[in-house]
Amino acid sequence: LWSGHHRPAPVRHLSIPTDAVCDADTIFALSSGHGRCGVAVVRVSGPASSMVLRNMTGLTQTLPPPRTALLRRITDPHTKELLDRGLVLWFPGPHSFTGEDSAEFHVHGGPAVITAVLQGLGSLKGVRPAEAGEFTRRAFHAGKLGLTEVEGLGDLIHAETEAQRRQALRQMDGELGHLYQDWSSRLKRCLAHVEAFIDFSEDELIEDGVLNQVDSSVHRLQTEIERHLGDERRGERLRNGVQVVIAGATNAGKSSLLNTLCQRPAAIVSPIPGTTRDVVEASLDIGGFPVLLSDTAGLRDGLDSVEREGVRRARQRVEQADLTLVVVDSTQLPTEPKQAPTFLQGYLSIVLPQPSGGNPEEGREATSDRVLLVLNKSDLVPEAQKERTERELRESLGLPPACFLSCHTTTGLGDFLAVLQSRVKTLCGNPLSGAPSLTQARHRAHLQQSVQALSQYHQYRNHDLALAAEGVRLALTHIGRITGRVGAEEILDIVFRDFCIGK
Amino acid sequence: MLARKLPLILHNLPWSVSSRAGSDLARRHYDVIVVGGGHAGTEAAAAAARVGAETLLITQKIATIGALSCNPSLGGVGKGHLVRELDALDGLCGRAGDWAGVHFSILNRSKGPAVWGPRAQLDRERYRQFIQSELLSTPRLTVLEGSVEELLVSQSNPNEPGHHRVTGICLVNGSQPILSSSVVLTTGTFLSGSLFMGQTTTPGGRIGDAPSCSGLSHTLRETLGLRVGRLKTGTPPRIVKESVELSLVQIQTPDKEPTPFSFLNTHTHCKPEEQLPCYLTHTTPGVERVVRESLHLNCHIQQDSKGPRYCPSIESRVLRFPGRQHQVWLEPEGLTSDLLYPQGLTMTMPPDLQLRLLREIPALHRAEIRTPGYGVHYDFVCPTQLNPSLQVKSTQGLFLAGQINGTTGYEEAAAQGLWAGVNAARAALSLPLLALCRTQSYIGVLIDDLVGRGVTEPYRMFTSRAEFRTSLRPDNADIRLTPRGFEEVGCVSLRRYKEAVRVRDSLQEGLAALKSVTLSSTRWREKLGNISLSESRNGSLNGLDLLQYKDVSFEMLAAIFPEHLSPYLEFSQRLNIEAVYRPHCEKQSREIERVQEEESLSLPPDMDYLSLPTSLSSEVRELLDRVRPNTLGAATRIPGMTPAAIVHLLHYVLRTAQRNQHTGQRVKAACKP
Repeated sequence: LWSGHHRPAPVRHLSIPTDAVCDADTIFALSSGHGRCGVAVVRVSGPASSMVLRNMTGLTQTLPPPRTALLRRITDPHTKELLDRGLVLWFPGPHSFTGEDSAEFHVHGGPAVITAVLQGLGSLKGVRPAEAGEFTRRAFHAGKLGLTEVEGLGDLIHAETEAQRRQALRQMDGELGHLYQDWSSRLKRCLAHVEAFIDFSEDELIEDGVLNQVDSSVHRLQTEIERHLGDERRGERLRNGVQVVIAGATNAGKSSLLNTLCQRPAAIVSPIPGTTRDVVEASLDIGGFPVLLSDTAGLRDGLDSVEREGVRRARQRVEQADLTLVVVDSTQLPTEPKQAPTFLQGYLSIVLPQPSGGNPEEGREATSDRVLLVLNKSDLVPEAQKERTERELRESLGLPPACFLSCHTTTGLGDFLAVLQSRVKTLCGNPLSGAPSLTQARHRAHLQQSVQALSQYHQYRNHDLALAAEGVRLALTHIGRITGRVGAEEILDIVFRDFCIGK
Repeated sequence: MLARKLPLILHNLPWSVSSRAGSDLARRHYDVIVVGGGHAGTEAAAAAARVGAETLLITQKIATIGALSCNPSLGGVGKGHLVRELDALDGLCGRAGDWAGVHFSILNRSKGPAVWGPRAQLDRERYRQFIQSELLSTPRLTVLEGSVEELLVSQSNPNEPGHHRVTGICLVNGSQPILSSSVVLTTGTFLSGSLFMGQTTTPGGRIGDAPSCSGLSHTLRETLGLRVGRLKTGTPPRIVKESVELSLVQIQTPDKEPTPFSFLNTHTHCKPEEQLPCYLTHTTPGVERVVRESLHLNCHIQQDSKGPRYCPSIESRVLRFPGRQHQVWLEPEGLTSDLLYPQGLTMTMPPDLQLRLLREIPALHRAEIRTPGYGVHYDFVCPTQLNPSLQVKSTQGLFLAGQINGTTGYEEAAAQGLWAGVNAARAALSLPLLALCRTQSYIGVLIDDLVGRGVTEPYRMFTSRAEFRTSLRPDNADIRLTPRGFEEVGCVSLRRYKEAVRVRDSLQEGLAALKSVTLSSTRWREKLGNISLSESRNGSLNGLDLLQYKDVSFEMLAAIFPEHLSPYLEFSQRLNIEAVYRPHCEKQSREIERVQEEESLSLPPDMDYLSLPTSLSSEVRELLDRVRPNTLGAATRIPGMTPAAIVHLLHYVLRTAQRNQHTGQRVKAACKP
């Protein structure tokens, strides 16, 4: 083990990794959906595209003819291990979607292949996963999009950001999230202490010991992140599949729906309100698409703390879901069918988290895409009322599709499954739903860049603290792309909290 | 009335004779009126005059123009950056510091040139003299002693309710108004200021000066509808030097070779050997005891409901960080002054307790106080109501600079003063207003933070606020700002411009010459002796590569290649710095370009965000409506903005710009060098 200030000087100055938001970076993304698809398309755009193409396909001298598909072995750029055989395409700028040099890899659609290809790309220098809407934004900056198309761009970025946010929330759930958060807060503290030493040590009482602590903290962080990146087995547990969450009031029949769908009693079903206190999860296959189904506690203000915790988790699940099945007890529907839409709107507003944007238009659109209403216990409702209610609901705007169903008699199950399957299919085929493997690749790329930036700290620690601090700042920027951006004021908060700084 | 003031001016500036003052004073209409003669006001007045405006500086007391009302020092880490930039734009304070400094040092010398902090202890008298004589010899500038009763503004524009235009000012007891196209207010702590000492409160902005008239405060609040907040600051007691036991303090010596602030100066007025030392001592548990015992007699501290995050006074220091020794610097007040300034001992308790507190420190055990410390509460105008030109958004021609915008510090005030003066003059001369980008200067960072985010505590400059710190160094402020200051802004003299261009070209040639000298690493090792060089791929290294090594200097290389490099020996230090930083700056340059691109897209000041026909969430709309960012870049920095909202905004702005090409006067956010 060595600590920064015992390192032999002079050291040759290495190049620093660029900030992740640079437009001149080369970016990649999975532009087809995840799940069961025959072919997955990975797009690359930016100045290093030709380098990427060469490194991934072993084409050392010549590039493929422009805009022509070529069948190649696709290998890991470092280990040269064969990842897949697939089609590669080369689009030299400006004749490409983004106006930049671009490339495409068409590989087999299994999650293992996709993950390997994305990780291979992410390991190349100057290449990183695209931010939300970044391909389109580049196309816009290159003048490839008309102004009218930009309006769509905003919505696209919104959708992608939302999808990535949901995906990231899932991945950040639990151990991994804690780990990243912990790294982020330790880096923040390191940066704050270096900045305090730079800005205040000459006037205030800030001892050199502060920097020695930063030295060892930075070193520990580096080691931890490197070990994490090197440890394949303890890697992120991918939660593959479309996340479908069952939510609704207590005793509406949520657990019965889960059991009906799983055809086995996975959750305890009982007629007492509030039986399901935790989240019950089941993996299943709907029409060939992977689905992760969760049943949640009934949403009511539970009396005991265990139940309150269950409700909290339920709300969290709904927030992260690709699709929410909102279960309603049909016997609670108003007997006058005309009042049903209003009743259901009210019900939804209790069960679903309020859209963060606050824009009612945006919120409603998003809701109808991501929600199905399941009107359970239909066997207990008179047939005439059911039919008239169905008609009312079809005609009313702004409500998600609704299906009458009886988990008890399985009446209506066929129709409901058809709706569910088509919805799952759409979600799987949509690249916006956020492939877990891409999120994983993005995390890896940022962690790698973070480690690289930290080595700049040690390199300059003894003779240029400003450049050393820049290394920590860059590292924090990269971690911040996973856990949330850190502003100058946050750093100053720590400085003023930890040190006595005068006027 | 004005003629009556003339003898007073001459009386107060006996060392300088002006022949032009008489005719100027007869004017009743000026391009620019600057109210206040502190650091912001003097820079504003001088800058406005340099840009070409007929300028009137009005101050309560001519004798206090250029007075250092608090600490007798200039510069430091971050603040020194501002002084260098002010000088690069031909401001006064850098040259004044070189004239008045009695103790020069570069702080952070061991921490890298990007964070070097040029700093000086000043002789108060010399500083004041320099500023006053500089102002008196500035063409187009008139100085007048008086108190401003009222700010004159036009009736609110019926088409744009709440929008006004400045027309001039009225003096207390002034028979007639003095008219002007622009007014710069730099009233410091005098806006509804009140002084605190112990349990007594008196109206005023500085001890010994009359409180300024409440009319101004009323106009800003009631007529113009500006939001104001309240801040506080303070100053320590001044100690009689003779009464200090100097054998009990640590002596802090200045740099052996003083480094001037100004790019124009090669040496300082004070000779190296004439410099004065500073002294360092520490607080004791007794100090903490006196603070605690006097709390019930200390109004200023009792009212500390929502104090700043830092510790402005000794009271807040020992209360927030108890049980520690705190540093106290004893700073000279000048060559002939018999006083010491105890930095770190700002206090507001009753004078007898101040004396008790001081005497708890061994070196001060028989200290005598000349003037006691006190606190000031004052109004500031929430700076988010300003444009990056420092013009009040709702009032054409009204500019604010300095503590009135919620900042603290001489340098911060001077920086805003210069920029407000420049734009006040430009507005009066019908030239487009200008903004300084945060990618280009600390002044830009300061103004962007103020108008973009506002303040919750007195704003002070730190280098950590500048995200492009690697590029914005004290050494290169001239290259960053002087050419633009001459070519575009118009506030820089031809002489300074020519010098900056010469330096810029020489540095470029010098770097090219360094690149041209190449040797194999073996040969370099032979020539340089004991230097461990890493092997590069092709085995040969050029001069720029060599300068990456800490132990190699430009002078050493020039000794090996005298014919190539000796012409640039004058710039050896700057070339050393450039060679190390250039690769890092180039890495940042893309990010800088992106920011500049976003900064160059200005958002109309009158945009109705709440009913904008584009899909923005109501949260984002309210955010935009409250902050009213001036550019797309400023919008992206608002906490809570989403990428999607930015794109919608961009789209809307481009579409609107296409539809109507020309709108009214707008801040030109020119960032491109």
